[in-house]
Amino acid sequence: MLFVAVHANFGLHVLKRGVIFVDLALAQMSALGATIAFASGHLPTSTWGLVYTFLFSAIGAALLTAGRGLPKVINKEAYIGILYVVATAATILAVDRSPQGAEHVKQILVGGILTVSATELPKFVILYGGIGAFHWIARRPLQLASDAAAAGHGGSLLIWDFLFYLSFGAVVTSSVATAGVLLVFCFLIIPAIIGSLFARRFTGALMIGWLGGATASGFGLAASFELELPAGAAMVVAFALTLAIAVILRGFISVPAEYRKHRFRILVRCVLVSILTTVSATMIWLMVMPGADQPMLDVMEWAVGIGPETFLTPGEREIYADARREVRVRQSQATQQTSLERRSRWQGAPLSDDAVRRIGAFQQAFNEMARGEDFVVESLSTRARERERWYVGPAILAAAILGLVIIVPRRLRARFFSRSWSLLAARMLRRHTS
Amino acid sequence: MRELAFLVRLAAALARLGVLISVLYMQSAEAQMVVVATTSDVASLVKAVGADLVHVKTIIPPTTDPEAFEPRASDFAKLADAELIVRVGLGYDYWIDRLTDRLQRPELQQSGPRSVDASTGVPLLEVGGRDPLAQDDGHGHGMANPHYWLDPVNAETVTANIAAGIIRVAPSARDTVEANRNRFLADLHQRLATWSRQLAPYRGAAVLAYHNGWPYFARRFQLNIVGFIETKEGVPPSAAHLSRLIAGQSGVRAIMQTPFELKRFSEMLSARMGVPVVTLAPSVGSVAQATDYLSMMDYNVAVLARTLAPATR
Repeated sequence: MLFVAVHANFGLHVLKRGVIFVDLALAQMSALGATIAFASGHLPTSTWGLVYTFLFSAIGAALLTAGRGLPKVINKEAYIGILYVVATAATILAVDRSPQGAEHVKQILVGGILTVSATELPKFVILYGGIGAFHWIARRPLQLASDAAAAGHGGSLLIWDFLFYLSFGAVVTSSVATAGVLLVFCFLIIPAIIGSLFARRFTGALMIGWLGGATASGFGLAASFELELPAGAAMVVAFALTLAIAVILRGFISVPAEYRKHRFRILVRCVLVSILTTVSATMIWLMVMPGADQPMLDVMEWAVGIGPETFLTPGEREIYADARREVRVRQSQATQQTSLERRSRWQGAPLSDDAVRRIGAFQQAFNEMARGEDFVVESLSTRARERERWYVGPAILAAAILGLVIIVPRRLRARFFSRSWSLLAARMLRRHTS
Repeated sequence: MRELAFLVRLAAALARLGVLISVLYMQSAEAQMVVVATTSDVASLVKAVGADLVHVKTIIPPTTDPEAFEPRASDFAKLADAELIVRVGLGYDYWIDRLTDRLQRPELQQSGPRSVDASTGVPLLEVGGRDPLAQDDGHGHGMANPHYWLDPVNAETVTANIAAGIIRVAPSARDTVEANRNRFLADLHQRLATWSRQLAPYRGAAVLAYHNGWPYFARRFQLNIVGFIETKEGVPPSAAHLSRLIAGQSGVRAIMQTPFELKRFSEMLSARMGVPVVTLAPSVGSVAQATDYLSMMDYNVAVLARTLAPATR
């Protein structure tokens, strides 16, 4: 919640300035500082470690502020990108020979939002509280600086630019180490976009952004728990879904009540068109490459409860079921051997080397048998798919295309076809004349 | 004038001495066999067996995580004059064959006459039997668990393989190599008795490990590794996995961690479960005290015994 609260504020500024990737560049600059501190023999959490980190953050802030003075041909995002890439490369070079350094770089990428302890919270509260207070007190000049940056002028506001980037660097430094680069980017940008979807004024956008961010974080953490997913990645996906829902909601809220039914029909139509287009593409893929991976077909088969068995002969079906059973049996036999050996490490008399080798031979044999049966399952699945493509492919493809023809309004259809036909005709004419 | 003549004579004498020393040094360097070891662990065992006969070069720097290592251009230079390669095997250092292949030196390739697979003959644990290059659970453990050097008894087999490799390349060195190895084994056996005595009180102690890197160590010192923080390398554990570890492992007495692994998760579990985190050395040079193979084992046993001790009181 704390992360959402402070990041949404920066996110709104960043969106206004049109410098989306600035957080990554600043985070990487401070990571470089922490890494150089480490290479010089200071722990990143020690006073000198913090001094180095903040110093590099300040250099990053100064470089970003100086970016304003660049000629217009150099795109702002390109400049930020170069800063990020150079800082990352320098960090990799600095940690090349140190074990804890490698851990440090991993930490910067993936973070560990789950591992924030209650004792660490006061540190974040003080830091974020301080920066929050500064942003509240200096909200006027900061707003002006952001507006000026967006408009591409405002030389007198350079100091406020620098202070903005410096405070931003301090926040990103601490949050990236905790939540990882991916999650911090989401915390920063998505709640801010959600906020600006619904409110024009800064405070309103901030409130709505906080609400959206908090909801997404909650759902992400719950999904990580229920579905056994890494917390950071699950939260990133939850943020994206929340944004999608917010975009749809805005589509309804922003129009008068009488148009809402019409908007709803458009939404349903869009969803149906996406589904039918996916189904058509899947069927074409199945007919062209039945032996290749068919992830969408797998989902469809799982949804309707039909498996490859349906397209096998009774004899093949028996072999298929038998092979699947055998895979499970052999894998469980291999696991049993592993458990037996693991127990023997500390329970009862220790196993001799020969006994361990015997267990190893059994594990190898069971694993190889399981892989052999797996191969049978895969070859029969491919055979089933080769039949399925002619039984199922054309019929479903025709139905999906028919569905698309019915759903897509005649006006759009006509425009699409007339444009396609005219393009085709123009191309043929050109070829003919040349 | 006389002083000047004395100084000139002194300078000439020093120059002759310098030439003599450099000639002697070059002769001894020429006599040494260049052995390239993939990791610092096998390098340390090569030094123990080869002593002055060998000049050992290590590819993976000791402070780098071997399981995340990517070869660099400078490694070609290390391999250029190699007379023998010693590898961990089991797919742990599979990249070495790509390098020797580029150098067009088939004798250094796996099963070539100038290549030693240190794992040959080791009783393997958690055998998967997969192709070492095939995709697996993300730990590179598809063939079998590759961390076998962490059982000190396996050093006997590894040194036997290394000795056989050196003798194959230089048959005249047989007596010296065997004497070196016997001296190393005598020291190893003596220390093994001490290590076993140090860890004997903690037989069956339940421990958690960050990565599945300690089964051989656990077998030798009868530890019960009840779970792993990491489920896939490089992917942070899920909330469900962490809470299961906290809920299901009430008897855990330590969390084993290496300097290469993320500390946050171990520290969080440590705070929640009230058990200490112990940082062990998975390879020679990964901590300052682990200067060679024997001191690495000394360090691991001592630090683990110290960590487990208060919990038994």
